[in-house]
Amino acid sequence: MKKKLTSVNYLVLLAASAFFIFPLIAAFEFSLRVNKGKSHGFENFRWVFQQGGFKTNLGVSFRLALLTAVAVLVLMVPTVVYLHLGGGRWKRMIEFICLVPLVVPVISFALGVGTAFPVFLQSTVYELSFLYVIVSLPYTYRALDVGLSSIPLMTLVEASRASGASMRQTLLFVIIPTIRSAVNGAVFLAIALSLGEFTLAVLLHWDTFPTWIANISQGHILNAIALSVVSLVGAWLVVLVMAVAPKSLRSNKTQEATS
Amino acid sequence: MTQRTGTLKQGAGPLAYLSRGSTFKSLIPLMPFLAFVAYFLVFPLTFIIRDAFLSNDGKFTLDNFAESFKGVYGHSFAVSIRLSFISAMIGAVAGALIASAVVKTGTRSRRAIAATSSVFANTGGVPLAFMFLAGFGTEGLVTKALKAVGWNLYSGSFTLFSETGIILVYCFFQIPLMVLIFSPALENIKPEWREASDSLGGGRFSYFSRISVPLLFPAFLSTTLLLFANAFSAYATARAMTAGTLPLMPLLIGNLVDGNVLANQEHLGHALAVCMIGVSMIVMGIYLLVLKFSKAKP
Repeated sequence: MKKKLTSVNYLVLLAASAFFIFPLIAAFEFSLRVNKGKSHGFENFRWVFQQGGFKTNLGVSFRLALLTAVAVLVLMVPTVVYLHLGGGRWKRMIEFICLVPLVVPVISFALGVGTAFPVFLQSTVYELSFLYVIVSLPYTYRALDVGLSSIPLMTLVEASRASGASMRQTLLFVIIPTIRSAVNGAVFLAIALSLGEFTLAVLLHWDTFPTWIANISQGHILNAIALSVVSLVGAWLVVLVMAVAPKSLRSNKTQEATS
Repeated sequence: MTQRTGTLKQGAGPLAYLSRGSTFKSLIPLMPFLAFVAYFLVFPLTFIIRDAFLSNDGKFTLDNFAESFKGVYGHSFAVSIRLSFISAMIGAVAGALIASAVVKTGTRSRRAIAATSSVFANTGGVPLAFMFLAGFGTEGLVTKALKAVGWNLYSGSFTLFSETGIILVYCFFQIPLMVLIFSPALENIKPEWREASDSLGGGRFSYFSRISVPLLFPAFLSTTLLLFANAFSAYATARAMTAGTLPLMPLLIGNLVDGNVLANQEHLGHALAVCMIGVSMIVMGIYLLVLKFSKAKP
């Protein structure tokens, strides 16, 4: 539905791009400054990549993101599928529960977790993953709900069950492939959130990539700016490539429902 | 043989066993989810609420709440609410303007903008603070460029660390969030409605005032409230930007419980946290009411 853009539209888009691009460009320029601003070079970036903390903290954040994504899949997909099949009467209740994390400011949530959780849970950084699952609930639930609403779920399941597949097989080989784009959306949201989350990590005294950036910014401002540019532009490029990649790479249909 | 294929209502075909039987039985498949939420969400929440009502020697008291609205805490509540409100309004209006331009572009660029928005809506903390310092700080590039064309940002009382400055910074994630959530609502507006309005003799203004605004207002309002909650609970950016110059609620709570001040104020921190939940609950209550009375969901 391509329509003609008015001159006001162009003006709005131009102003918006300027507002978002200029701080990025400015930060990039700062990150290139070396010798107290007298010349430009990539030394700040090099310094960042040489730090031992870069690899370890990025590693921690990636592992947290992975665990969060898996937990979201295991917990949310069967739940939302069930709500669309036989558990419809609980849909409103679950919807409401999934909105609660929006109501609870993360700082309040962090306080509660700090006092409530037993020591054995608080002794591993991976406790954060479970909390990220909670914080991402409103978004992951919505993504999966929209995906499941757009397919003839009951027909698919009945066909699969009538062909002799078990409920588990149906879920794995019929439903999930059919709503792959919704599942991807939920997973990307969970991953983006885990990679960038700061409040819970810092208040529960864990070192992740975002808290590490905050730490090195105390004494190494230009390096921290370089790191900020890298993390933002990196995330942006990854998401952009996924969004505009040719359809064959984003396929969300499978031909064979059951074997 | 079943004739009820294709319906999403309960009790269809081979899946009937899923919904037949008692209320309790139909809850069983939801148990993993409910148990998870109970332990990782409800359980911590009960602890904040309990601690908010306790004095330091463990007795029930309401003093923490009385303290919450006095002096610096009361003031910072006002500042936080005002700042969140203004940044939500600006974000909503600017985001809606951008979204209305974006929906007219092709599929590919719309997808690219949605992806970009999702990244920018999630920026915050130190990276965001640095970008604005580099751009709009006293030595920033944008500041210098504006000065070159005769507009000195810093001629008045403006600093990035003031309320106005923080609102400017928050726009960087509020506007993309609005674009992200509001665009689907705009896409639901069918071109046929415009044609119908035109053929019935409606002008541009009457189409605007009688069709698009009434249709979009619920989605607009509910997204605005979401932006408010988003700004209200923002901690990372506030912490990176203000370093204590601006009393914002999340920062005060963070200070109270992070061991930087006297240990006996932890319960006050919990009371403040409960008050924050209260404010968000009021906002979210309005959000749910709006959703309930609107047909065009965001």
